[in-house]
Amino acid sequence: MSVKLAGDLQSGNVVIVEGNPLVVLKAQYNKSGRNAAVVKLRMKNLLTGRVSETVVKADEKMEQIILDKKECTYSYSAPPVHVFVDGDYNQYEIDAETMADVEKYLMPEMTDVVEVTFYESKPISVVFPKVIIREVEYTEPVTRGDTSGKITKAAVLKHSKYELQVSAFVEIGDKIEIDTETGEFRRRC
Amino acid sequence: MADRWDIFCRVIDNYGDIGVCWRLSRQLHHELGIPVRLWIDRLEVLTHLCPQVRTNLGSQQVDGIEICQWESCSEETQPARVVIEAFACEIPNCYQSSLLSLHESVPNPPVVWINLEYLSAEDWVSECHGLATPGSSSSLRKYFFFPGFTTETGGLLKEAGLREQVLRYQQEFISQGSRATPDLWARLCSKQGENPLPDSQKMPGELRISLFCYQNPRIPQLLDYWSSRSAPTSLFVTHGLATNQVAKWCGHPLKAGDRLQIGALELLILPFLPPSAYDELLWSCDFNFVRGEDSFVRAQWANRPLIWQIYPQEEAAHHKKLEAFLSLYLGEFSNREAVAEFWRLWNQIPPDRSWANASGIEDAWEKLIHFRQEWNRHSEEWADRLDRKGNLANNLEMFVRKIREETSRS
Repeated sequence: MSVKLAGDLQSGNVVIVEGNPLVVLKAQYNKSGRNAAVVKLRMKNLLTGRVSETVVKADEKMEQIILDKKECTYSYSAPPVHVFVDGDYNQYEIDAETMADVEKYLMPEMTDVVEVTFYESKPISVVFPKVIIREVEYTEPVTRGDTSGKITKAAVLKHSKYELQVSAFVEIGDKIEIDTETGEFRRRC
Repeated sequence: MADRWDIFCRVIDNYGDIGVCWRLSRQLHHELGIPVRLWIDRLEVLTHLCPQVRTNLGSQQVDGIEICQWESCSEETQPARVVIEAFACEIPNCYQSSLLSLHESVPNPPVVWINLEYLSAEDWVSECHGLATPGSSSSLRKYFFFPGFTTETGGLLKEAGLREQVLRYQQEFISQGSRATPDLWARLCSKQGENPLPDSQKMPGELRISLFCYQNPRIPQLLDYWSSRSAPTSLFVTHGLATNQVAKWCGHPLKAGDRLQIGALELLILPFLPPSAYDELLWSCDFNFVRGEDSFVRAQWANRPLIWQIYPQEEAAHHKKLEAFLSLYLGEFSNREAVAEFWRLWNQIPPDRSWANASGIEDAWEKLIHFRQEWNRHSEEWADRLDRKGNLANNLEMFVRKIREETSRS
């Protein structure tokens, strides 16, 4: 554990607050009066997934921890957990609840290498690569002569049933790139 | 009886910190019936605002407020259940420990700990207002309360009836054709404000200006210009830095009570004015040059055009703050560019376009004078708009109640 000034925190840093590990999602530094400054922090509790906002003086000392991380691949799901495996074939069970934001990207036999984060030896979160590729299971065809001016339409991904907005030219069976941080369509492969 | 509130104030420089805390204390006590204990590290500064204060007393009762020397705070001090640290001043460690013990041993009514922040018009203020800093080892959190100009912030300090008082005073002025400058000056110099209203009137075409500022290299240029204009300018020069800089321009020392005519410019050197007399000065002038936070707010309640010298910050952070306020204050005002130009010049902030192309402060001043009446009306509308957003003391009291309700529920 190390001490870091609140003004130096960046997104991705993990700090201990009231005994809980919180990952900084966004740190917004602002000068207040005279030469003081405050930092608004948007943080996620790594144990509960709860997101909260707080404001601290920039010179406030925070307890930063460096969490263990391992590269893993998805193995299978056994509700209420998802199972991941590392390069040494160690298996890790992660509560589906804590993966709520990224569960939609899971699919059988997926080859994406994810990053599993551990707090006190317990796996607490999964981070997908910034960009993943998925197949479109269903999307409405563009109607010939449609002059409504719509440039996007809804599409459902294969396996996950996750629905997102894609460009009008995307068709069923197309592979598309998805930004896992925003959940948005990037482009057709 | 309401819980007592403790307000902690450290005087960093000047009178702004204690000016705000003293005003807040009085308003909480006189208007909301809250017993207030004000902790201050430099009592001698408060004596300027409130001459009844004695610097040799560890604790004293003045105007209904218990005033305590910061150093007299100890382990034996019984903390209040509502604690305000003004401008992030950090309450003493011993007090903090006692506060924590009180919070843990007697949870009801909940302890509320607030950091009253600096005033800023920037957008981020409304996003941070009311948020809490988590306690490192306990559930006692410190809430950030930001004054501001929008309903999403804590508002501005304003005593009950202030707007009506200003309007009455200014209407009286208008009905009399405005009070004569020498009479106003004599009245302000008497400090007590007890002189009878004079019969004489302000000179036709005379511009009456008050000057309260930090160090400002633009002052000589403006004084040169005002002294060379054909129309008369009466400049009320406040005590301290303003007088010192004007004296430097004159080339000889000046003291309170001095009156000098230099060309078209009449200099009226003021003593240190207590808050009520300073308010009267602001209400009486055509233009008010103000600085920092407290006088800046008072000038906005004065219905008169103001020129603000912002507190300078490292890395020019104050530039953004000035622009943020200008944007709110000027809104759709038809002469916004001219006002903004003058404010930037006064604060030595380069405008968007090339600094070299910017007009001199003399030209910028002439532009302001042309639309003085519109700016006057705009100032009244601005004060009305601020008035509708409530006031800081009431908002603070409501905030404390809200936090207590939330804490009790959780």
